[in-house]
Amino acid sequence: MTRNIRIGFIPLIDAAIPIAARECGFAEREGLQIDLVRETSWANIRDKLIHGLFDASHMLAPLAVATSLGVGNAKVPLAVPFGLNANGNCITLAARLYREVEEILGHPPQDPRQSAQALKRIIDRRKISGDPPITFGVVFAFSVHAIIVRHWLRLGGIDPFNDVQFQVVPPPFMVARLAEGEIEGCCVGEPWNSRAVESGVGSIVVFGSEISRCAPDKVLALRDETVTKDSESIHRLLRAYQAAARWCQDPGNHANLAHMLAQPEYLNVAPKTVLNALCGTLAVNRTESRSAADFLAFQGGDINWPDPRKARWLYAEIATGLRQTLDEAQAQAAAAVFRPDVFDAATGNNALPEAVDPIGLRFGPAFDAANLKAYADALTRG
Amino acid sequence: MMDQPSILIIDENHARAAIIQDGLREAGHADVRWLSETGNLLKQIAEIDPDIIVIDLESPNRDVLEQMFQVSRLVKRPVAMFVDQSDSASIREAMMAGVSAYVVDGLRKDRVKHILDMCVQRFDVFSRLTEELHEAKTALADRKVIERAKGILMAAKSLSEQEAYVLMRKTAMDQKRRLVEIARAIVMAETMLK
Repeated sequence: MTRNIRIGFIPLIDAAIPIAARECGFAEREGLQIDLVRETSWANIRDKLIHGLFDASHMLAPLAVATSLGVGNAKVPLAVPFGLNANGNCITLAARLYREVEEILGHPPQDPRQSAQALKRIIDRRKISGDPPITFGVVFAFSVHAIIVRHWLRLGGIDPFNDVQFQVVPPPFMVARLAEGEIEGCCVGEPWNSRAVESGVGSIVVFGSEISRCAPDKVLALRDETVTKDSESIHRLLRAYQAAARWCQDPGNHANLAHMLAQPEYLNVAPKTVLNALCGTLAVNRTESRSAADFLAFQGGDINWPDPRKARWLYAEIATGLRQTLDEAQAQAAAAVFRPDVFDAATGNNALPEAVDPIGLRFGPAFDAANLKAYADALTRG
Repeated sequence: MMDQPSILIIDENHARAAIIQDGLREAGHADVRWLSETGNLLKQIAEIDPDIIVIDLESPNRDVLEQMFQVSRLVKRPVAMFVDQSDSASIREAMMAGVSAYVVDGLRKDRVKHILDMCVQRFDVFSRLTEELHEAKTALADRKVIERAKGILMAAKSLSEQEAYVLMRKTAMDQKRRLVEIARAIVMAETMLK
């Protein structure tokens, strides 16, 4: 018997797995009919999930943890049995600010630490001359985007709480806000960075994958009760997602995937734009491109396996982001949101993750899930 | 808490906002304001200082608002109506109608429910009006195409108006298609053969 599942998504490249699960027949093979509902805000995604208008959602990983803990605007226990992707975001600076960074460095920015140090000098100069602080646009208060910007700023000795400001900007408005000067930098997924570069409004300074190897970006989120009430359907969904993740990760399928995602009912953009992000080669400014094999990943390593240590990391980042002291009970509650038991039961997996450090920050403190306090202290010490 | 809560509507759709405002005023809420300008949202909200904010679910600015409530000291901290799970049915109803609300803590629950119910009603009224308008427009456009096709048939086959109409209707019935589809085919064929 076919079972219908309603899934909410935001039109982004990292919604690839739910879209491919439906379009390539992976869900059908499991006896599932996936209805995909496009949404305009993460708040809608959260509210429609918690009030049962959706059975499952494409969700920002930090939002799933924050909602379960009651940080922010709702407190409902959610379950994350599957990770959808790692990375895929960039930090982009407005054209004028990028030029200033370039002048200080004597060449276009490449190394994240060097570019952050150059930014620090600009911020110091502005403080002396009494200019207003730089504002960064991020996609949501609880997002890996905000976390990545904070990490990058700290590389240059910039205090993310006192030296700059943050502003939430919905991705479709990001380029316009950069052009108007309301924000001077942003962290957002594709195609929005490329749009800024193409229109001359901004240039890409850092790939998210240059800050961390596999920070969890989007996840599959369910109401916690669904896991027990409807475990058979959820197991089928996870098997469909696993097959879709493999298919999406295979470079041989990227051209097809780009066309699929580009359709009007999904992202409604040019297939070429999607393909660039899938291949990890982006024009970063008017004259140069940059490539990263791991720019955006759907599968491999421990991306899909919902490692509770990643949830602990998300909690540590959320708490330090709100300048709260860490609380071990909260960290444990966060860890319980990620459900490897459900993943393993559905897929027959019995392997444990290989990585000692599940986040893989390329600079700064190594993440030790057993010692959150040491991590948070190292973070804030800079 | 105040007798007359101040209500702010954030909606890009002018017509809908007007319908909601009217509804709330008729129900005795004097202090109703409306914002459509999305730039500098926080400053505007701080000036208005509302007790309840009603926002259209289609607006991506919901995410912007949530962050403002989180960090800002400028506005009283409104929380999503979703914090209280006790009235899930009316929350679902509101979301299905396409409306969401943020409420400052301390506002009486029955009062919030009354305001929200009114907004939901007005959202539904607006959807119905839009649908009716759309249907009326389509009907008008269909009639125009049918008239044109009739004229083409009359000229090409020297038929009377009645005969041309009967011929189109019979073809439609035989082919199990709508009259307007047959009319469109005739108009298109004529353009191509010209």
